[in-house]
Amino acid sequence: MIKTRMTAFALAAATALTPLAAQGEIEWLQWFAAENTDGFYDELVADFEAKHPDITVKLVTQPFGKVRESIVTDSAIGVGSDVLGLNMPWTKEFLDIGILEPLDDYLARDDNSFATGDLVEAPLGKIDGHTWMVPLNAFPFVMHVNMGLVREAGFDAPPATWAELSAQTSAISALQDGTSGIGMPFSSQPPSNGPILTFLPLLYANGGRIMDGTTPNFDNPKVVETLQYLKDMNDAGGMAPGAASRTGGVDLEEFIAGRTGFLISPGVHSSSITSRNPELDYTLVRVPSNGENAYRVHGWEIGISADSANKEDAWTFVNYLLSPEVNARAAKAANALPGNLKALDAVREGADETLIKQMDILSGDTPVEEMRQSPKAVGSWSVMTEEIQAMLRGDQTPAETATAVQARWIELAK
Amino acid sequence: MTSTIRQMTTKGTPYFFLLPGLVILGALLSVPLYKVVEYSLYDNVIVERNPTYVGLANYQTLLTDPGYWSAGLNTLLFTVGSVLGHMVVGIGLALLVNADIAPRARTFFRSMLVLPWIFTAVVVALNWQLLLNPFGLINYILQWMGLTTEPLDWLGDPNLAMWSLLLISTWRGYPFIMVSFLSGLQTVPRELYEAAEIDGAGFWSKFWHVTLPQLKPVIYGVALLDLIWTFQLFPLVWLSTGGGPGRATEVLSTLTFRLAFVDFQFSQAATVAVSILIISAAFTLLYLRNEARRL
Amino acid sequence: MSRIEIRNLVKMYGAHQALHGIDISIQPGEFCVLVGPSGCGKSTTLRMVAGLETISGGEVSIGDRVVNGLRPKERGIAMVFQNYALYPSKTVYNNMAFSLQLSRMPKPEIERRVREVAEILELTPLLDRKPGALSGGQRQRVAMGRAIVRDPKVFLFDEPLSNLDAKLRGQMRAEIKRLHQRLENTIIYVTHDQVEAMTLADRIVIMRDGRIEQQGTPDEIFHDPDTVFVAGFMGSPPMNLVDCMVTPDGLKLGDSEITCATPNGLRAGERVICGIRPDDIRPASDMTADMTADTAHSAPITVPINLIEQLGTEKLVHFSAGDHEMIGKTGGRVTMAEGAPHPMSFDMKHAYFFDPKSEKRIR
Repeated sequence: MIKTRMTAFALAAATALTPLAAQGEIEWLQWFAAENTDGFYDELVADFEAKHPDITVKLVTQPFGKVRESIVTDSAIGVGSDVLGLNMPWTKEFLDIGILEPLDDYLARDDNSFATGDLVEAPLGKIDGHTWMVPLNAFPFVMHVNMGLVREAGFDAPPATWAELSAQTSAISALQDGTSGIGMPFSSQPPSNGPILTFLPLLYANGGRIMDGTTPNFDNPKVVETLQYLKDMNDAGGMAPGAASRTGGVDLEEFIAGRTGFLISPGVHSSSITSRNPELDYTLVRVPSNGENAYRVHGWEIGISADSANKEDAWTFVNYLLSPEVNARAAKAANALPGNLKALDAVREGADETLIKQMDILSGDTPVEEMRQSPKAVGSWSVMTEEIQAMLRGDQTPAETATAVQARWIELAK
Repeated sequence: MTSTIRQMTTKGTPYFFLLPGLVILGALLSVPLYKVVEYSLYDNVIVERNPTYVGLANYQTLLTDPGYWSAGLNTLLFTVGSVLGHMVVGIGLALLVNADIAPRARTFFRSMLVLPWIFTAVVVALNWQLLLNPFGLINYILQWMGLTTEPLDWLGDPNLAMWSLLLISTWRGYPFIMVSFLSGLQTVPRELYEAAEIDGAGFWSKFWHVTLPQLKPVIYGVALLDLIWTFQLFPLVWLSTGGGPGRATEVLSTLTFRLAFVDFQFSQAATVAVSILIISAAFTLLYLRNEARRL
Repeated sequence: MSRIEIRNLVKMYGAHQALHGIDISIQPGEFCVLVGPSGCGKSTTLRMVAGLETISGGEVSIGDRVVNGLRPKERGIAMVFQNYALYPSKTVYNNMAFSLQLSRMPKPEIERRVREVAEILELTPLLDRKPGALSGGQRQRVAMGRAIVRDPKVFLFDEPLSNLDAKLRGQMRAEIKRLHQRLENTIIYVTHDQVEAMTLADRIVIMRDGRIEQQGTPDEIFHDPDTVFVAGFMGSPPMNLVDCMVTPDGLKLGDSEITCATPNGLRAGERVICGIRPDDIRPASDMTADMTADTAHSAPITVPINLIEQLGTEKLVHFSAGDHEMIGKTGGRVTMAEGAPHPMSFDMKHAYFFDPKSEKRIR
């Protein structure tokens, strides 16, 4: 209620204070600077302003959890930022509200600092006939491995297949009290996105999908198979207890503290793992598969607001961010891979083993990102969370779970 | 004529100075209030550029939605349970820290026991998540004492989640009650306890026949206030369980937030908000009447 | 009815000693009043008998039992508090019945007792009211009723009348006296009001600074004070206490000389405190038969009259004798002029002499 009230009041206030954006001033709303403490983005903006004296960039930084709300409410009351930091799963939702500017014409220009073909492809895929965002950086979902626990459980190599993963998780869980094979963060606590962190990467590695274009397609054999796999692993004790109350944050912490053998999450987490616990015998591998080399890709994307009064200047800035030289710096600052693959070599220079492994995944495997096509992506993964909780509790079978998610998702999309 | 004008200006001057405050307060209160009610009468807003007026259709949807009723029931459980918890723990601890012990120890206990109040909801939620974790301290102690054999997922089991939430809410909310009662206790004349002692009253008799009746006005006022706060409490629930598992701990405030910012159903969210508003207003009226009677 | 023995009672508050060994022996059925200025330890003594204060030293016994370690309810006492301490949420009936209810007495018996006591105290029409709806005097009666229903061996009163106005206080005083005559319980009664002490007590205990100054019957205390303090404390207006020099024929008071027998064992030139009540100083023109009976003790001196206070049946005559302000009395119909010198007659037969150093009576 408070939120709604605030929004309402902001709306009222905004009607009185229509923004008088000065010519050549653009605003960049993002969460990137919130996850970087050394002032890289301030320097970036300063560098841009030095090269383009007629444009000033105002950096508006919010935590990731707030950005989606802000984009929607700001846009509703006409005070939206010009350049937006975006997350692929939000795409379809934002299109339905009309927040984003189609980027096709901008990408087709000759004087761009990059070639469209060099960009990581996933975010560029057309929805409703247009391209809506470009990648600042990219990272694959991977499986982080505590090699110490793997060896202690009697294995010399991390699991590569589902069968190996099952065996190793059970063995690690059996080691001692408080140690588990793998953590699965299926808490309802916001953002309640456990399924897209762990379930989807496993599903893609199994060759499955949950979308048919922009239509939910959750009720299919591959999904049921993957759900069954999760259930079996849980029943066998391979999964850390309390999945229904485990948050993504706790899951990461538990891995860093050395209490879980494996963690499926974005590759970008490797830097916090190694910096927070240098003692950990750590490596990362591609998510164990059944022979299918597909991975869930994730990244920080950039878009332009449909309501922006300075779209030209906004594109100038986006263009700057995607140039190989700048893009390489941005990727390094985030410890991620560049959105412009031309910058890959620059990033590879001096990169550690875990980053190199991610590059291999990125260059060889099939990237998948489906949530961007989903109407009501956030609502839909909450639904997945709730139904998977019920399945792990033993309240429903994997097949029933798939059916339930599909039904509720369709209802949600109406 | 001029004197009348002068009189009016003189009389009006104080109100003139009050004007900015009144205008700002009025706007801060009435504009959002009006907007929320207005929103609830459209098909959808904010994400809809051209909203359609639908009258009370959203209310109809709401009243026929089992999700709303289950959230309502949860809200009732959570509110009544929390307020009861706050009362029992608050009064009990107030009695304890009002005891005649060394002043230094008393000050120490008083300040320690107020601590849960000063933490933000985020910290409280995070701490309790760790404590209630299957590998957490509480499960460890329960197993060590032999009360449970398997670790329990307090926040992840639909049968336990509401109880765990009530535990967290009780822990978080009792200090206010304790402090209120403590000041209430200090106004109870000592002679009444002495008279009761001579009449043969033990600890519980003194509590029932002297303390409680003396605190009754405080209890009533504080309980109503707590009811109003708890009824629309959002952050603690959202951050502890997010309404889950499933919707086992979904309350009206989290439902509002979910509708608004997860599902972008702002009008439906506004409708729930209005329903919260109506019930809160009823409690508030009760509270104000009680306060007026006390004056 | 119980005997109460208080032996060498001591109270310490930390390092501060509030009571220095109090000994009082109260006979069964006796009405004992503890009186003294505030801070003298009288309330503390009472509360130690009640069990509301711990006993630092000495012994209290009620009946044949030493009660030092017993809780208040085990001591067979009932207490009436200064502020009544009625339970505000309970009706008069329940206020009175509470202790009986706690002792699990059968309901009909409770009802019988409460009604009987209410009848004695004229509280019957008020039984359903709450204390908030009662006048001060009514509350006081309820507080007493609450004590009486328990039929205790001992009643303790802690300044029970100090919150009432003068008129009510007089009434209630009489009522308490009547009650005592009827119930014949042992009573300890604390007050700072010497009139209450005089009118109520069988035995008065005067306390000062945690010690007993004197104890005895009201007559003994009033007419035979042991110390300057007791002499000055009892009586209103208070006894005149003046520092004099002993002369061969009597006393030198300021410039004047009063003829009287020399106090026991003193010689001319020594100093002495002379105490004489206002009743025993009259205008020479106003001599009563009583005072003229033995004129040898009476010596008129002429003094300036400062002020005449009209009390109705009598007048107080304020005058100066040397440096001393003194008070005498005369009949209410006598006319005297303020400001003029007037001969005043001292009935030295009823004067008391005290040693200026020890403040003890010279007998």
